[in-house]
Amino acid sequence: MKEYIIKIDKVKYKYEKNTDYAVNGVSLNIKEGEFTAIIGRNGSGKSTLAKLINSILLPTEGKIYVKGMDTSDDTKLWDIRQTAGMVFQNPDNQLVATIVEEDIAFGPENLGVEPEEIRRRVDEALNTVGMYEFRKRPPHLLSGGQKQRIAIAGVLALNSECIILDEPTAMLDPSGRKEVMETLKKLNAEGKTILLITHFMDEAVQADRVIVMDKGYIKLDGTPKEVFRNIDEIKKYGLDVPQVTELTQELIKEGLDLPPDIIEVKELVDLLCQ
Amino acid sequence: MPIRAENIKYVYSEGTPFRTLALDGINVRIDRGEFVGLIGHTGSGKSTLIQLFNGLEPATEGKVEVDGTQVGEDKKKLKLIRQKVGLVFQYPEYQLFEETVEKDVAFGPINLGLTREETDHRVKEALELVGFNYKKIKDASPFELSGGQKRRVAIAGVLAMKPDYLILDEPTAGLDPAGRNEILGQVKKLHEVSEVSVILVSHSMEDIAKLVDRVIVLYRGKVHMQGTPKDIYSKADELERIGLGIPQIASIVRDLRNRGFNIKQDILTVEEAKEEILKEVRRRNV
Repeated sequence: MKEYIIKIDKVKYKYEKNTDYAVNGVSLNIKEGEFTAIIGRNGSGKSTLAKLINSILLPTEGKIYVKGMDTSDDTKLWDIRQTAGMVFQNPDNQLVATIVEEDIAFGPENLGVEPEEIRRRVDEALNTVGMYEFRKRPPHLLSGGQKQRIAIAGVLALNSECIILDEPTAMLDPSGRKEVMETLKKLNAEGKTILLITHFMDEAVQADRVIVMDKGYIKLDGTPKEVFRNIDEIKKYGLDVPQVTELTQELIKEGLDLPPDIIEVKELVDLLCQ
Repeated sequence: MPIRAENIKYVYSEGTPFRTLALDGINVRIDRGEFVGLIGHTGSGKSTLIQLFNGLEPATEGKVEVDGTQVGEDKKKLKLIRQKVGLVFQYPEYQLFEETVEKDVAFGPINLGLTREETDHRVKEALELVGFNYKKIKDASPFELSGGQKRRVAIAGVLAMKPDYLILDEPTAGLDPAGRNEILGQVKKLHEVSEVSVILVSHSMEDIAKLVDRVIVLYRGKVHMQGTPKDIYSKADELERIGLGIPQIASIVRDLRNRGFNIKQDILTVEEAKEEILKEVRRRNV
């Protein structure tokens, strides 16, 4: 049995006294090595939840544990952020140095890691995200997808076990989005726990588990197939389903014998061509 | 009268090791009343090109004309050109700054020196064009609105200048699906009821497919293809080769055709795909 790396127990959070709860009684456990996507309309509470996990915000009620550490325990703050590193939407707001490798070294330097060890971690992180040859470049001349891979490398250099990404591809073009998704899948295959917040359903489809949030609540939680077959419900939460799922269900209505939980193009094409 | 770009070249970081030819011999024409989609990978030159259209940047070579006036030739005419060619930047909500929606939208017209009466009229019209109830929204703080609403206010601010051409740079980036539909639905309506030409810069192939009359594809600073969405998306392999996606429906259609399905190539909607697939399946089962 794998351990839970993140445990969220009946968590509520509100930003100001007289407002609604942004997160309204969420309980959720994430296993080590799991690739989870969280989807939900703007204001559904998904980014708040990510900030709570990373101890940027503290729960109004309830508890969150990251690898057993209570996020409201001040003394554990840096250990928590090191265990669960965060990557944000805008690549230009999170790179700090003028040279790529210095940017990645920024985190471990601040933790007081030995210089040789920093060198080793930076090189390893750059290789993992496929950006080693860009190590001497200034980050502002990289593409959006490359910048996000540098941001991910910055988290890797902290030896984080879990990476939380808040809409990392919102500002990227299709090939940049692909680069980031491929990097995440590779890291996940190597054992990293990935928590991806996204508005793109085609990205959510690639996760092991999809969580749908609305108005601070978790509404659906399951494999991509279990979640996306609920087209009407998903649309009610202001979201979309992949076009292939919609097409499949339309064909079923017309009497074709197909499973209602198709989420990938290849599945549908294979079944139709049998 | 159109926007016309002739033999445009644009170089940035000239004289440094990072010298880049961002636009390399561009010839395009945007006619009045058209709805054009501009697509291309990051760095393909889209954003540079639209900045040339309203004179924010001068071309290194070649010329841009807006309704017969050459952009940049006479600096005094730039103000007129920027009024004619309205540009809504990415994440325009960051540019909202006034206390009320009404004041924010009025900022442009007031700076044009319009009368109070004309300003009020334009503000009302612009907010209604993007789908707001003027009375309900005018006194709201722009900062209390949702992401999609903020963007519509920002677009109204540009519309209040009465542009003949409206350029939207990634208007749906960072919005959820409902917010995306809200913005695009309003833009579509706006195009239908007014005579404004719309140039939509987008990474979303689904959005482009749904909305525009003509697609211009940029690749490495050149116009790589132009045509109707159906023409363009039927070249799925080519689009993928140059770093662009295709709508998921187009890839289903391509794969089915490759496997011997006898269906039309130029399908862009779920509805059309359903009809075509049913026809073929029923034909096969006879």
